[in-house]
Amino acid sequence: MKRRQRTEILIQGDSQLAQQFAESIMETYECREILAPQYGLTMIKMRETAKNSLFYIGEVLITEAKVEINNRIGIGIVVGMKDELAKHLAIIDAAYKADLPETTTWEVQLIKAEKQITKELAKKQAELFETKVSFETMEV
Amino acid sequence: MGYVPVKGGTQAIDASIKRLKYERLKGQEVIEINTIMSTMRAMVDQVMSESSLYSPYLAALAIKQAEGSMEEAVFLMRAHRSTLPRPYYSQTVEPEKMFVERRISASFKDIPGGQLLGATYDYTHRLLDFNLIEENPVENMQWLQSYKEALNQVASLDKVIYFPKVVDYLREEGLFETHEADNTPPIDITKQSLQFPSTRSERLQVLTRGQTGAVTSLGYASLRGYGQVHPNVGEVRVGAVPIYVQHPNETEQNEEDEFYIGEITVTEVESFVPNNVKNENNEYELELEIGYGICYGQNETKAIAMSILDQCLEHQESDFPTHDEEFVLLHIDSVESTGFISHLKLPHYVTFQSKLDSIRQVKKGGQKVEN
Repeated sequence: MKRRQRTEILIQGDSQLAQQFAESIMETYECREILAPQYGLTMIKMRETAKNSLFYIGEVLITEAKVEINNRIGIGIVVGMKDELAKHLAIIDAAYKADLPETTTWEVQLIKAEKQITKELAKKQAELFETKVSFETMEV
Repeated sequence: MGYVPVKGGTQAIDASIKRLKYERLKGQEVIEINTIMSTMRAMVDQVMSESSLYSPYLAALAIKQAEGSMEEAVFLMRAHRSTLPRPYYSQTVEPEKMFVERRISASFKDIPGGQLLGATYDYTHRLLDFNLIEENPVENMQWLQSYKEALNQVASLDKVIYFPKVVDYLREEGLFETHEADNTPPIDITKQSLQFPSTRSERLQVLTRGQTGAVTSLGYASLRGYGQVHPNVGEVRVGAVPIYVQHPNETEQNEEDEFYIGEITVTEVESFVPNNVKNENNEYELELEIGYGICYGQNETKAIAMSILDQCLEHQESDFPTHDEEFVLLHIDSVESTGFISHLKLPHYVTFQSKLDSIRQVKKGGQKVEN
């Protein structure tokens, strides 16, 4: 699974999944910490919809970590102050970069988690639709 | 005017800082960061927006430390951001990818997808709720439980819907100009001082981090006649947009290899503004333009006011102050304006003494002439 999809699932879903994956790697492989979880900023570039141009809306606080496994460096980046999750994401990223066999077994769980995330989001949206206005035109 | 360094007052300053702590603690109540985050959503959003740093946790901490002073909290956040590294710039965030929690139009009753009120104070009675004085956690829990039980009855959708912009339909009708994607790299005003004439990216960055009160007041001034923009709100939307960043070192970059890092909540506004423009035959004809406003969190008044000022600053040929970019952009930043105003209370003994001396000299001279 590509990075974009798996980071969406691991960050939007239950953080225990990232913990479970990372711990399974730490048990078997040497994980060298390159960068302990540290706080930093990401500047957010946006497209405005009036003139279709780009601008910076501001910065967002992130936690970043880097881990090396089998000479391959993995990066974990997540919005907020989430040291553990950033570290777990870095280990998982390194595992994918090092092409460790465990990563293929994660696929099923990731797809299952993705379905659950979509289901919960769709439910949340349905709940928000309770506030949808139903206009009635009045006789004057 | 000259500035002369002075010494002294160290003990008084130490005592003053202790006194400040005493004022915060003397009530013997402790407000938790999580309490602020859970119950002061609008305040947290405003601090994040004005400080240009998205972090509800740090904003809540700043509010606690500043005892609820907005200017002090924003100052703390700006100071803190300056201590942090900035290893990443995001990929372009497309607002169409927003998970919408609220979406309304004041221009059209029937918008595709419908009007979604979400959570709003718009239709509440502005009467003090004295029941909150004796708010009971057990009763709150019961209310939450019954609310969630009622929502459980709501049938879920098959998939998540992402709403197109209201203006897209009008563009299809040719009522608004369609602009090709302009990918000119934006200028970052935190890296490069604002120069005039400014670029559109600079203007939008200054406006979105402007002080809510200042942005609102200038937008209001434009509506009242000190400007030439009176818009219809085409769309207000509040929701979460996803953030992606590229890998810092990988040579082959494609979308699927980006990092998803999380989401931020924003309020986005498109205002429709009628404007007289000259056509090919040199005749004036009415055209609709869009004013754009956006800010961190849910702060609809600020975003609407920003959309007015954005449109004002797109028409700087007008003589009104709200169309003057130097007037608007140099006076709406919270740290700059509150910092400069409040510096006036710091010691200016030498400068004032020199002014007094001048006046004394003038008075003496005047008396001589009279004599």
